[in-house]
Amino acid sequence: MIRLGLRLTLATGREAIIRLLAIAAAVALGVGVLLVSLAGINAVHAQSTRTAWLTTSKRNLRPSNDEATADPLWAEANLDQYAGAVIERVDVAATGPRSPVPPGIPQLPGPGQFYASPALSRLLTSAPRAQLADRYPGRQIGTIGDEALASPDSLVIIVGHRATELAQAPSARQIRSFETAAQGAPGDAHPGRMQLILAVVAGALLIPVLIFIGAATRLSAARREQRFAAMRLIGATPGQVSAIAAVEATVAAAVGVVAGFAVFFGLRSVLATVPFTGQPFFPSDLSLRWANVGLVIVGVPATAALAARLALRRVQISPLGVTRRVTPPRPSAWRAVPLLAGIAELAWFVGRRPAGTTAQIRAYGTGFGLAMVGLVVAGPWLTMLGSRLMARRARRPAALIAGRRLADNPRAAFRAVSGLVVALFISSAALGIITTILDYHTASTGGTAGRNILAQAFGDRDFLTPDGQRIPGAATVPDTVVAHLAAIPGVEAVAEIHVEPSVSDPAMGPGPGLVACADLARIPALGRCRTGAEVTTIPWFEPQAGTITANHTATVRGRPPVAFPADRLPSLPVAAIEVGTDGSRRAIEEARTVLEAAFPDRNLPATIGDISADNAQLIDGWRQLADVAIIASLFIAACSLAVSAAAGLIDRKRPFSLLRLTGTPLGVLRHVVALETALPLLLVAATAAGNGLLAAHLFLRAQLDESLQPPGAGYYLAVAAGLILALGTIAATLPLLRRITGPETARNE
Amino acid sequence: MTADRPPVRQNDAPPLIVATDVVKSFGPTPALRGASLSVAAGEIVAVMGPSGSGKSTLLHCLAGILVPDSGAVWLGDRRIDTMGEAERSALRRERFGFVFQSGQLVPELTAEENVALPLLLGGVRRSAALGDARAWLERLDLVGLEERRSGELSGGQAQRVALARALVGRPQVVFADEPTGSLDSLSGEHVMELLVAASRNEGTTVVLVTHDARVAAFAEREVVVRDGTVGAQLHQATRS
Repeated sequence: MIRLGLRLTLATGREAIIRLLAIAAAVALGVGVLLVSLAGINAVHAQSTRTAWLTTSKRNLRPSNDEATADPLWAEANLDQYAGAVIERVDVAATGPRSPVPPGIPQLPGPGQFYASPALSRLLTSAPRAQLADRYPGRQIGTIGDEALASPDSLVIIVGHRATELAQAPSARQIRSFETAAQGAPGDAHPGRMQLILAVVAGALLIPVLIFIGAATRLSAARREQRFAAMRLIGATPGQVSAIAAVEATVAAAVGVVAGFAVFFGLRSVLATVPFTGQPFFPSDLSLRWANVGLVIVGVPATAALAARLALRRVQISPLGVTRRVTPPRPSAWRAVPLLAGIAELAWFVGRRPAGTTAQIRAYGTGFGLAMVGLVVAGPWLTMLGSRLMARRARRPAALIAGRRLADNPRAAFRAVSGLVVALFISSAALGIITTILDYHTASTGGTAGRNILAQAFGDRDFLTPDGQRIPGAATVPDTVVAHLAAIPGVEAVAEIHVEPSVSDPAMGPGPGLVACADLARIPALGRCRTGAEVTTIPWFEPQAGTITANHTATVRGRPPVAFPADRLPSLPVAAIEVGTDGSRRAIEEARTVLEAAFPDRNLPATIGDISADNAQLIDGWRQLADVAIIASLFIAACSLAVSAAAGLIDRKRPFSLLRLTGTPLGVLRHVVALETALPLLLVAATAAGNGLLAAHLFLRAQLDESLQPPGAGYYLAVAAGLILALGTIAATLPLLRRITGPETARNE
Repeated sequence: MTADRPPVRQNDAPPLIVATDVVKSFGPTPALRGASLSVAAGEIVAVMGPSGSGKSTLLHCLAGILVPDSGAVWLGDRRIDTMGEAERSALRRERFGFVFQSGQLVPELTAEENVALPLLLGGVRRSAALGDARAWLERLDLVGLEERRSGELSGGQAQRVALARALVGRPQVVFADEPTGSLDSLSGEHVMELLVAASRNEGTTVVLVTHDARVAAFAEREVVVRDGTVGAQLHQATRS
């Protein structure tokens, strides 16, 4: 039976080969997406493993074996910034010859030496010294190898110090080995989050892909069923027919798997350059494990064979032919209930936020899950409503035929796009939430004004006055540093926030800072003094969310005066330096370089924008993934639709070709196909996106009391690009119409 | 055959369709080798012949579906074989009606929508088109089946719906290619009676391709195609 199946698949003429190739192409596309998803998960894991050393702590998850005998190493890791890009800076100082060496370098840098990653080496050469290179005194003695970097674009520097010098740094720690266990994506505080997101994206893409493969296997189903009926007539059992169908599907899937691997390896180096997670990959990161390869090679053909057997169970193939076409039962309005229930649940929690994370996850998870499943369940009913409306209102034959066909079997029409529902719902909801949270975050950190103020806070170490008094979080700032800062083009003001020793408690931390109103007046984003005041209090600035918002409130009425002589302020230790700039890269980066060089053992200076940039980089990674999911799912859905359209055309080629013979213009038939495919696509895309955004809005109202901010232009561009791609794919099937409805078809059928 | 033969008519009307020396080949296989035929307005002509003789090809050339390799086909004073595809399509849509052996109904449409289709294609308003379609379904004994789809109709009913669709646009010529080929003799006879009656009432010319002598007997004239040429012609009067 297997041999007969192989003969029927491979040696029964052009139509069989075309069907084989079409199914193989669908499988190849699906396998390609599957392999890219698996390789993407592996790549993120590889990135995390390579950069695990940057998450080293005193208690590593996986310490090295020689930890017990190693000499301690003083190490301090910080996130520096340049022009919005994050530079991972690691300061190290050996205490003996057996101090651990980070990966990617042959030996520890000595005092006055540093290693830089290739991308940072290039940046150090190309950027003006005063904006970057002056932060790292000494000389570069080599580049950091790829084995220590997340991506080819990673900016990493390892700076050497004397142990006595680095021991003074407040965040320096003594370590005996570097971490080697992956703890999640680079810069990700939550282990495995990116992998989880990738897994969700892969899942969201896989559903449309599986549906696409299913659609492809139904190509010319009517013709194949006729053949199977003929075989039943000459004595084949249902089991034998089923076995032949399984052989056909397996052969096509096997060809598709091979082609899918070819597609993956062909595109791997291009895909690696796409910053799906915010950073590009090394091409070798997008690799497959043997388990992945085995799963695909065995699993896909086996699934295809199983699907073919299951598909045959849907039609009754008797020796007298397949069951005659009758009107299938209509989907009922009950199908809308889960969707409405999901939306209603999310709406119910507005103003009733559940207490505790578990309750929130349960509440919102159920709502989102219900809405998503509800969309899939309601899809055929919604498709039927839309198509009935179209057929009822149709004034032209194309709309009438397309509407009737869709209304005739809305389940089949919806099946081709049901994967899109899941992908578009998830993507729209995620993007809506991400955009709103990002907007909320940006607004709460002072927007542009916040990003233009560079702050050097000294809260990391106590200050000892000459008379032995310990003042928490303070330093002395030489006048030369202030003068140097003020001389930088683009720097508009330099304000020192002083600590008043009398209100600071070494046990409780620093009290509110004091600032001269004259200085404050030149940095209005920090607030303003009430008229007549010379000195006022200000929360000593830490670039954290909320500070500047609080200052905005104070700005309205003005900060109250403090009874402290302005001329005595310079005698007080300094809690923070605020550098107001015009926002130019030169001003911010030169000021940052001056501060880093002046206070090498203190916290690195930062703008609020730097903190936001760090989060934004990660969020941007998610957003790009969501965009990729939208475009890919729309494209795959279009492929499914195109295959369904082609299958529908092949199955209806006799009535269509006879219509054409009788004078029906080809344009009318083209309209039929276009409407049959475009209507469900557009209807479903609009419904899924709308419900995704609605669910996001309800979630934001309930959880954050925020209204949904419209997703950015990127979202609309992604949807538009996906739809254009989809409609283009559908249009690609139209030439088939001319060919299969030509006079020859009617003559030969 | 139990039905009465149609009355014999000595047709002296001017020719509506004229084909002269039509040659048509499909690759190396010749289908027509210089076929000539003239059909008068309002005449019912049966084209007969064994399988592979070229009778369907001749019908397709007369209807402007196929373009002959050589020779000429005229409809009145218009030469069809030199027209472009768009013009021939328009001609088929506006002047001709077609009935085929089977499978010509759009499966998703109801019977009345299938019949209304040519009118809708011609720009007739939907309500008017459906009204005309219902009237034709009534004339062809299909009352009550308006909302049925092709899969829910018997073979004879489906052919009558196809006949209604061919006639609803009041064409000058109906081309019928084995219209009863998939029907039992009673159903086939009923379809032919309806076709002949309707075309007589409307004054429609009918070119009927069949290999069944009982079907051909409904025509006023029979022509026989053999090896790609039109051979013997037999008027009903002569035969009877």
